Amino acid sequence: MMGRMIAPGALAGSALLFVPIAILSLIGWQVLGNAQQGTLTHMLIMIVAVLAFSSFTGNSGILSFGHAAFMGLSAHITGALTIPQAQKAIFLPDLPAWLADADFHYMLLGMDLHFFIVGLIAVVIVTFVAFLIGIPISRLGGPSAAIATLGLLIIVYGVIVGARDFTRGSQALIGVPKFIDIPTALVFVAIALVVARTFRDSLSGLELRAAREDEPAARAIGVNAHARRLLAWTVSASLAALAGVLLAHFLGVYSPKEFYFQLTFAILVMLIVGGMSSVSGAVVGAILVTAMIEILRKSEDYINTAWFQEPTVFGLTDIGLSLAILGVLFWRRDGLFGYREIEELAGGWRRWFGLKVHEAEQGAAPVRIQQEGALEVRHVAKVFGGLRAVDDASLSLKPGEILGLIGPNGSGKTTMLGCISGALDISEGAVNLDGHDITQMPAHQIARHRVGRSFQNIRLFTHLTCIENVKAALAASGTRLASAQMEQRALALMAELGVADYAERRAGTLAYGLQRRLEIARALALEPRYLLLDEPAAGMNETESDDLLKILAGLRDSRGLGLLVVDHDLRLIMRLCDRVVVLNKGQVIAEGAPEEVQANPDVIEAYLGKRRAATKTAPHATQGREEP
Amino acid sequence: MRIPGYLKATAAALLLAGTSMSTAVQADDHEIKIGYAGGFTGYLAPYDQPSLKGVQLAVDQLNAAGGILGMQIELIVKDTRTDTAQSAVAAQELVDEGVVAMIVSCDVDPAVASGVIAQAAEIPAASSCASTPTLPDAVGPYMFSNYTADNLQAAVLASYAREQGYENAYILLSRDTPYTEKLPEYFAEAFQAMGGNLVAVGEYATGQQDFSAEVTKIKGLDPQPDVIQTAAYEPDFPAFIKQLRAAGIDTPVLGSDGIDSPTTFGLGDVAEGVVFSNAGFASPGSPLEAYEVAYEAKYGEPNDTVFTATGYDLMMVIAAAIEAAGSTDGPAIRDAWDNLENVEVATGLITYKDQNRVPVRVVALNMVSGGERVHVGDYSPDPSMIPAP
Repeated sequence: MMGRMIAPGALAGSALLFVPIAILSLIGWQVLGNAQQGTLTHMLIMIVAVLAFSSFTGNSGILSFGHAAFMGLSAHITGALTIPQAQKAIFLPDLPAWLADADFHYMLLGMDLHFFIVGLIAVVIVTFVAFLIGIPISRLGGPSAAIATLGLLIIVYGVIVGARDFTRGSQALIGVPKFIDIPTALVFVAIALVVARTFRDSLSGLELRAAREDEPAARAIGVNAHARRLLAWTVSASLAALAGVLLAHFLGVYSPKEFYFQLTFAILVMLIVGGMSSVSGAVVGAILVTAMIEILRKSEDYINTAWFQEPTVFGLTDIGLSLAILGVLFWRRDGLFGYREIEELAGGWRRWFGLKVHEAEQGAAPVRIQQEGALEVRHVAKVFGGLRAVDDASLSLKPGEILGLIGPNGSGKTTMLGCISGALDISEGAVNLDGHDITQMPAHQIARHRVGRSFQNIRLFTHLTCIENVKAALAASGTRLASAQMEQRALALMAELGVADYAERRAGTLAYGLQRRLEIARALALEPRYLLLDEPAAGMNETESDDLLKILAGLRDSRGLGLLVVDHDLRLIMRLCDRVVVLNKGQVIAEGAPEEVQANPDVIEAYLGKRRAATKTAPHATQGREEP
Repeated sequence: MRIPGYLKATAAALLLAGTSMSTAVQADDHEIKIGYAGGFTGYLAPYDQPSLKGVQLAVDQLNAAGGILGMQIELIVKDTRTDTAQSAVAAQELVDEGVVAMIVSCDVDPAVASGVIAQAAEIPAASSCASTPTLPDAVGPYMFSNYTADNLQAAVLASYAREQGYENAYILLSRDTPYTEKLPEYFAEAFQAMGGNLVAVGEYATGQQDFSAEVTKIKGLDPQPDVIQTAAYEPDFPAFIKQLRAAGIDTPVLGSDGIDSPTTFGLGDVAEGVVFSNAGFASPGSPLEAYEVAYEAKYGEPNDTVFTATGYDLMMVIAAAIEAAGSTDGPAIRDAWDNLENVEVATGLITYKDQNRVPVRVVALNMVSGGERVHVGDYSPDPSMIPAP
């Protein structure tokens, strides 16, 4: 059970980062002067803050400007609750009586739990607020979500300034008890690290990372991207709230502007340097940037004393830091860590922790699906403005059947697949799946009803490993398995498509033909009853296409699933399919056995035009593929 | 046995580092260390950099005249990059290096962050130009103010308004910064205490370009205000005054030192007659004029902001406090500083005695006239007339 709670990679990665940080910090705590201790503590708090940003931005791919707002909110809550009574009377005279007199002093084992309770209250309130704000924000994607978080930062800043009875408005909150030292901060760094890594390596985190790579493809394997984003938003906001509490009790004095653009950009710089999409990168980025500032600052002091004396020259720190960032962006566009975690760089970590290395094993024989029911498309139309891309088209597909869908370019084949899989909203007509109406269902639910698909242009999660591609589909389709078994399942599926040897490779680095196969393995993870394949043989040579034909026929024979194959490779279609449907200008113009369709004059006309159709024969199977 | 070269080099480096560290810790009998942890980059740079120039000029003059208590002054400067956490670190470094007094940033957050470190080490500290009068009390008995406090400026403006016979006042404030919010409020308080009447309070947001709502409101007031006071500055003040005058309202306007900039003098007719307060006017024969000459001699360019002069003043105050204490002991300097009276500085006289560490200093009133700054007068208000912070 523990295996499902915390992935081994998460534990290893957290430990590899935390142990050196803890050792060095504790040494620093013993030997450094007060000033350097302050810098070190601040760095540890910034690590928590960067982890908060990274938990959302890294997994969702959406740049967040808004998390500093949550830090500010929690800092002002903890401030209003912990400023000593006497100072409250001076600085916050308009505080409501119940709040002014609020007392959170409870003793446990001789320990005053005051700060712990107040901090927890601040984190809980902020997390709840973030959840509510996250409901609309998580429905947005890409740049619009980033802009929304920017708006959030500005609005929350305005609210904190406006709530002057509680926050002193734009003036500084003074007298907040300072008690964060290196050991305390270390405890929270450990907590934040484990939370961030556990979330990243959880199935939800994997699904969200899949959606980060390619949202339509993620939806097609059953990922509810909105729900996953909301979860990431809420988790990361709670970490941001924690960082806010820590920063509040470290600074002791702050006004709303402390948690505004300057802080946001300081954290984003750390994230960009280390690697936006890696938890380890975020942590290392925070450490490197802090170290860089310290070194530059000391050199600035030195240069000023040694060379310039007067007039003193300032800004060398900022210039040096900017150059360093430009350097990182120039040489490593994705940051120092890119998409990797520290344990992936320290190869062989699985052995250190006594874990089994991936081995391609043949899994259990595929389960044959029930043969009753059918996927029925009834008089479906899809209208784009004035264009009827699909116009009153009907078709049906039974389990165990291979149906070819052909037609000239622009005849509506891909649009038809989009309508069935839920990627497109259907304008007219209905789609019925084994007796259930799925016309209005969103794509991820149709996927969970076991309709898989592949895409015309390959849509893998390129920065995830091959096995993660398949595991994401297993997780998203609702397969509930322990971590080890899930790995076995994924490897078995990959073995079936002949790609098990590439389990730990990034999907984007595979050769073209292998990518096509991996995409099918991923779709099979849904245990589909119906599989929609959009030009699976596109770009393949004859040998590759023959291999594919064997694989596809094998899928039908071993599992009994229904295949809907769209392709221009008529040789493949004619040899593979039991039945062929021909679309032209969105309408079905012919249906039947491959030979019948091939001889149909309407089909010949659609493909070759009217005058030529009179003199030429039908497009012959041996003619091979047409231009893609 | 042969010792590898790199080991020798390391040992030498360690030895060097060790000696340099020990020299840093040892107090030098012939030098007196003063620290300045300021925001020399970031948004405070326009204030802390000029202050530093003034401080350096003062150090030069003091050292040339034999230093303080016969010891030369060593000024140690740390850039906080206008960062609150860094302000605490920089202050701690100054304490570690053995400064006897500390100048801290021009804004409240970093000033307090540095100040609490100085307070804990019992080293007196003062903000270069933060004008919030509550600042010293927020930290403790070792924290001082330097710059003309908001309530002091407001009291001068209010007494000027009453002298002119204005009965009804309108104030325009923005709650976006303490300065734009509190200064007009202090003005209203002082104005009412002197028998005036507050007609209404208008509010704006910093950066708001359209003041038509506020102008319409002023037009509809009954009784009409005789004077309008605001602490708005660029870009709000130019926008406001243009729209006010365009609406045909010629009520006198009183501003504060935030509008002491070339923009205001370039506004033309709309700004004609605007009176504003600042920390000093270099009238012929005044110490400020002498200061301006010394400034230009040192830096090769004329002084363009009053913040250099107030920085100079602060260094002179620190020197006076140490001389009066007769020692470099923190508590002794603090007590002496708290009892300073009529210290002669560039902008006039400064008094700390009985002022709760917020100095009473000259406030100059200036009028915009024909695009030039015309001196209205220097005011040192009766302390009883200054609104409580």
